[in-house]
Amino acid sequence: MNQKTTKVKEKPKPFLLPAYCKGCGRCIAACVKGCITPGSKINPHTGLVPVDLNLEACTSCGLCVIACPEPYGLRLAPSEGTEGVQGDFVLEDPAKLFGPRASGAPKPEPIPDQVIPLPECEPLVTKGTYASAIGAILAGCRHVYGYPITPSTEGAELMAKYQPLLDGVFFQAVSEVATVNFMYGTGGAGLPCITYTSSPGFSLMLEGISYMIGSEVPAVFVNVMRGGPGLGNIAPEQADIKLMCRGLGHGNTHCIVLAPSTPQEMLDLTMKAFELTFKYRNPVLIAADGYLGQMTGMVRMPKSMRKPGIPDWAVYGDRSHRGNLICSICLSEVDLEKHNQRICAKYEAMRKNEQLADLYQCEDAEILLVASNTPSRMAKGAVAALRSQWVKAGLFRPMTLWPFPVDYLKPLLKKIKHIVVVEASAGQLEDEMRLAFSKADIRDYPPIHHVQRMGGVLPQQSEIVDKVLSLREVRP
Amino acid sequence: MTEHRAGMGSFYGKFERHAGGAGIKGNSTHYCPGCGHGLAHKYLAEAIAELGVQDRTVAVSPVGCSVFLYYYMDVGNTQAAHGRAPAVALGHKLANPESIVVSYQGDGDLASIGLAEIVSTAQAGIPVTVIFINNAIYGMTGGQMAPTTLMGMKTTTSPHGRSPMTGQPMKVAELMAGLDGPIYVERVALFNAKERMRAKAAIKKAVSLQVEGKGFGFVEVLAECPTHLKLSPLDSIKWVQEKMLPVFPLGVKKDAQPAGGFKTFTPSFDQKKVTEIVTGGHSGKAPTFSRKFPDHIAPKDVALKLAGSGGDGAQTAALLITRAGINEGYDATHIPSYGPESRGGTSYADVHIADGEVLSPASPAPHVLVAFNQPSLEKFGPTVQPGGTIIYDSSVVVGRPTFEGKKVYGVPFAQIAKDLGKLVVKNIVALGALQAATDILPKDSFLAAVRMELRSKAALIPLNEKAFEAGVKAVKS
Ligand code: SF4
Ligand code: SF4
Ligand code: SF4
Repeated sequence: MNQKTTKVKEKPKPFLLPAYCKGCGRCIAACVKGCITPGSKINPHTGLVPVDLNLEACTSCGLCVIACPEPYGLRLAPSEGTEGVQGDFVLEDPAKLFGPRASGAPKPEPIPDQVIPLPECEPLVTKGTYASAIGAILAGCRHVYGYPITPSTEGAELMAKYQPLLDGVFFQAVSEVATVNFMYGTGGAGLPCITYTSSPGFSLMLEGISYMIGSEVPAVFVNVMRGGPGLGNIAPEQADIKLMCRGLGHGNTHCIVLAPSTPQEMLDLTMKAFELTFKYRNPVLIAADGYLGQMTGMVRMPKSMRKPGIPDWAVYGDRSHRGNLICSICLSEVDLEKHNQRICAKYEAMRKNEQLADLYQCEDAEILLVASNTPSRMAKGAVAALRSQWVKAGLFRPMTLWPFPVDYLKPLLKKIKHIVVVEASAGQLEDEMRLAFSKADIRDYPPIHHVQRMGGVLPQQSEIVDKVLSLREVRP
Repeated sequence: MTEHRAGMGSFYGKFERHAGGAGIKGNSTHYCPGCGHGLAHKYLAEAIAELGVQDRTVAVSPVGCSVFLYYYMDVGNTQAAHGRAPAVALGHKLANPESIVVSYQGDGDLASIGLAEIVSTAQAGIPVTVIFINNAIYGMTGGQMAPTTLMGMKTTTSPHGRSPMTGQPMKVAELMAGLDGPIYVERVALFNAKERMRAKAAIKKAVSLQVEGKGFGFVEVLAECPTHLKLSPLDSIKWVQEKMLPVFPLGVKKDAQPAGGFKTFTPSFDQKKVTEIVTGGHSGKAPTFSRKFPDHIAPKDVALKLAGSGGDGAQTAALLITRAGINEGYDATHIPSYGPESRGGTSYADVHIADGEVLSPASPAPHVLVAFNQPSLEKFGPTVQPGGTIIYDSSVVVGRPTFEGKKVYGVPFAQIAKDLGKLVVKNIVALGALQAATDILPKDSFLAAVRMELRSKAALIPLNEKAFEAGVKAVKS
């Protein structure tokens, strides 16, 4: 109540708007003076029977108020003559009570990110997962949650070492399920957070990812893919492509899926992932593989790092953000459809704006290898080997698996005689490409062949070369 | 016209319920008449208002009848997945340690699907507040058996009465009190004026412990669900008193001194500090010694394999080669063993040094092989390219193996290292032998890489330098 209390002469007595009483009777038993009795009239607004108050014997003890479960049920009325009081207790015309929740919370202002330049320094010599962790730190991430799982643990371990030195948080959760919900909290508070996991752990996070998409909470997930299904093994595979591109829990879900192939890209794309996750208020996934995670290589430092601000929509736990809500519920079918349409419009924007691909010797290529992650490096080696045998081979390397970078592939198709998809899965990358062709209405494409290995065995350069040379029109 | 602008306690002045809080709904809850949730909400809202923390509070709504807590509480609101509210709450608390985070959950949410989250969050002891509503039944889904359902009690999923096959009702307050994390645990009820006063005080205390930064507080509220008990509100109150009370005794279960583990913190974005940490403190320029790419081995890309068993140090040696290559301005990669070959304790590493870019980082046909034992030599010797180099540990390999068209060096890595007093430096002996046998990079490149690697264990540098020189000498002589 916003009454301006002047002088309160007598103790306040209970007050009840019948429409806000559900007739539960809790207050009847609470009043030792017998002031409250079961009602007899049905309230026309509610169809319920509110209690009757007869306050002659009332001592203003307030016990009935404490017994009433309704926030606007029994209340203590300030004494007569207090300014503004009467109005508060007038039942409004129900038709006029429509509208958003009334709150005194201010309109939140976003606090923008700061870009801080970094000094020039020598390239680092570091592992893929470490490079990603360093990228996260430079992107301003000071909240890391995770559950140990091979072959992703190095990411968590490095964070456990570095974050406390920066007064950041590394918290080992009780499970991957808890991990993703820590992230829901921290991401909902508007801060960047990341986790390192591997296939079985990623499976467990899907429920949370669906909630994050629905509630529009940003977060970055690094999935260092390993051999499946089930416990499988800890060797590198790419068999979560389907899961990451098509299977993010229930509902109409999509996330941008970035696919690095070098330790350098593990750093660069992790930084990019943070930018994208806040740009779209949608989680971003990094698809790595066990080989890449373990691979040591050269990593150049970026020119700047970020200090994150706080977005206007965040539930940060301060005055400015008090009016905010992070929630995936839309009870009305109409509202939920609208919400879905809005989310789908974001997906459309991602499709349009965020495709990424690396083209290697594609200008004159007649044989196009398509590969991502570590297998793309074997494919790159194969391109060089084929070129030395006068075969015009090129490599198309999607760096976003979703959206599949079909816009970059389309112009190449005219010259291409054969496409060979090289991957460490049973055709999951190929399916993404075929689906992208179909969605882009590309009907006229060259024959698609593949080199597929599974179970932790990666396609080797020699078998890619052999595959290409076995195609009938390819005779060096 | 008057609007309830600022609400009662820390309730919204008007509730944006289903259909925009039209009419009566704008100021009354969605709970059934007599439901215990309303009272718990009210005590929580009053506690937040009385403690003056409305602006700083984040309430986490669960799944269950109280899923719409966010309709009512005029604070920062988050709605969590079923059972996960404590994890979400911790995520908020760690994001902003100054915030006051309350997780509000029912018995299905907390004591069934969310057990792992509540137990681990409570054990962490970080100051958040959990309000747990125990009404012995699932409300929202329509009266199914909860972990807290009483023995013999009929629900839609225990139509013949809860049987011992499903265990006993779970006593969550006692479970929480048994953990080290929480500093305050109390079970309260709503069935009479005295208990309601206690409930109100307990909720306020649990929140205030957080406000004071003291620790994790947990309040279990025995609440009425008249709808699914199929009782009138007043009879359901009696039922709680008569039936639930004997199973769930009220009272303070734990009231401990705060351990004082939690301090608020502000993450650092200090450019100097960050650079120093992520570069491992060696951001300066590394010296270079190599004048030209070792194209006497391969024109653009030299592939090496180092193979041995677990403790041979093949990975460290591989890393040093990689570091030396990168310091010299080439691209270089190292990948540890993977795939079926890695079974049985073997450990091998593929290394590439390239002028330009390393394409494939695997070394199925290396130019150089360093073998630390017989099986590795037998296995990978034949894969070495014609004209390539094989260096093996002659202190463990029997005989003098030869490979057609390949240069083979037997160097007693282990024996030399043993004579130097430390068997573990045999990989550095091997590195010296590799340098002398192939001249892949100058000696100083390797020595610089070794010193860089050992910068935190400087005492070990002389021994490693000696081991390296001994490896070089063994090949030269
Ligand atoms: S304030 Fe006390 S005496 Fe008056 S009606 Fe309420 S319970 Fe009865
Ligand atoms: S306790 Fe409140 S809702 Fe229940 S009968 Fe009394 S006034 Fe009405
Ligand atoms: S079903 Fe039970 S718990 Fe749910 S609102 Fe109704 S009375 Fe309350």
